[in-house]
Amino acid sequence: MYAKPHKIPGVYLVGKHLATRGAVAYGERAFGEYRLWDPRRSKLAALLKKEADIPLNSEQIVLYLGAASGTTVSHLADIVSLIYAVEFAPRATRDLIFIAEKRTNIIPLFSDASRPDYGHIVELVDLLYQDIAQKKQAEIAITNAEMFLKSKGYACIFIKARSIDVTAKPKAVYRSQVKKLEEVFDILRVHELGPFYRDHAAAIARLR
Amino acid sequence: MTLIKTWFADLEVQDRAIIGSHVCPSDLSSVVARLQEEDYADFDKQYRGVFREMAIQSRFVNAEPEYVAILRAAAITRAKAQITRAFSQPDARITQLIDAIDDIDESINLLSERLAEWCGLEVEQVNQPSVVSAIAPGPSIRGPLAQELALSIGQLRELRQSIAGSIERKMHTTAPNVSNIAGELLGARLMARAGGLEALARMPSSKIQVMGASKALFKHLKYGSKPPKHGLIFQHPLVRGSLARNRGKIARAIASKIAIAARLDFYSKQTYPALMVQLERRISELQKPIRRDPL
Repeated sequence: MYAKPHKIPGVYLVGKHLATRGAVAYGERAFGEYRLWDPRRSKLAALLKKEADIPLNSEQIVLYLGAASGTTVSHLADIVSLIYAVEFAPRATRDLIFIAEKRTNIIPLFSDASRPDYGHIVELVDLLYQDIAQKKQAEIAITNAEMFLKSKGYACIFIKARSIDVTAKPKAVYRSQVKKLEEVFDILRVHELGPFYRDHAAAIARLR
Repeated sequence: MTLIKTWFADLEVQDRAIIGSHVCPSDLSSVVARLQEEDYADFDKQYRGVFREMAIQSRFVNAEPEYVAILRAAAITRAKAQITRAFSQPDARITQLIDAIDDIDESINLLSERLAEWCGLEVEQVNQPSVVSAIAPGPSIRGPLAQELALSIGQLRELRQSIAGSIERKMHTTAPNVSNIAGELLGARLMARAGGLEALARMPSSKIQVMGASKALFKHLKYGSKPPKHGLIFQHPLVRGSLARNRGKIARAIASKIAIAARLDFYSKQTYPALMVQLERRISELQKPIRRDPL
């Protein structure tokens, strides 16, 4: 199968499918070294499918909040240099550790991102990536950015409208969250993730 | 001079230079032990930008790749220990057991239906699932395969019994008050749904009352339909066994006592039997017919 490089280094297109290069991690389909990256399983892949311009490169150190089972983490690990992956749920962390063992650049942290207790472990990062189902998503992003994100560093923050207010219109939730994020970030772009994810948006931001 | 404590060393820093350091040995067990320590204080963000340089300067490691390799190995070891601990908490075990019971119930139903189909072909009288589930493996079920299937179902039922027994014992030690008010199995189910005893203890009683009726609840919040009266709590014999017009009030009374019981269980760990007495009194009050004043 012929793989074409995507505009983001480290990402490839196999036919019309997104892929990254590395060892198979969670039972995804792969052609040789190219592991297919399903936009329905990973919001980052969905964001790439939406032609979003995401600040990713091979030198980056990433703080990943809400790593879950490590599906997206495993692909991101093929793209960037190091990931500090924070997850709070024991069951999901078990899968995350399994994936961290297969890679050399994932550091799993079993912690609550809303009360960061990893200040002595995590160094300054180039990118803050956040995908958590909490009502205080924006506040958590700000706290962590102020501790760990280098100045002018980028943030990719997923807004889950349904986790914040199920009764409000998603668009109104995005607006209110973006407004909160603007306290410390310059918001570069906001992308909605439909049809891959309903009522989700991603804010690409830069720390002031 | 600033003192900073990182995962690899205690450092005294002045004008961005290290003037004193107490470095952790770089073997796995020392680093893991150090990660577990708790007296880490926050420090200026700028120092996080030079962790690797400081680790090399203080001779914790010789080069950057080593820094990442040591931290990765230690973080994996520590995270493993942490989730093992999280999973061995009694409420985590109870959650597992409740899930197992649900799976087994589903399997028993499925297999009973299959058995009924088989028997329906062979024995005319026995073609209702309920009838088959009542029969023990015996001469009424013909054919060696059907016999074996009936036997397996019987075994699953025994397994379910012993799991339920185990839940009851565990609930008595971890959540005696909740068990007393809600019953062991319902209490365990509420705990599992809430995400542990602590989560249940922090829950408002209104949420306990409708937990398990989220579809109806969100329909209510979104479209203004009638709010649900009871969720999982419907399984409580005092709710299920009451007249429909009283169920909402009774569910509310029980939920509020469960909330109190969960807090007792989690924070004080003392049994408080008076709670059940209060609940019973309240319920008998609710069940009295409403006396209308004579005209």
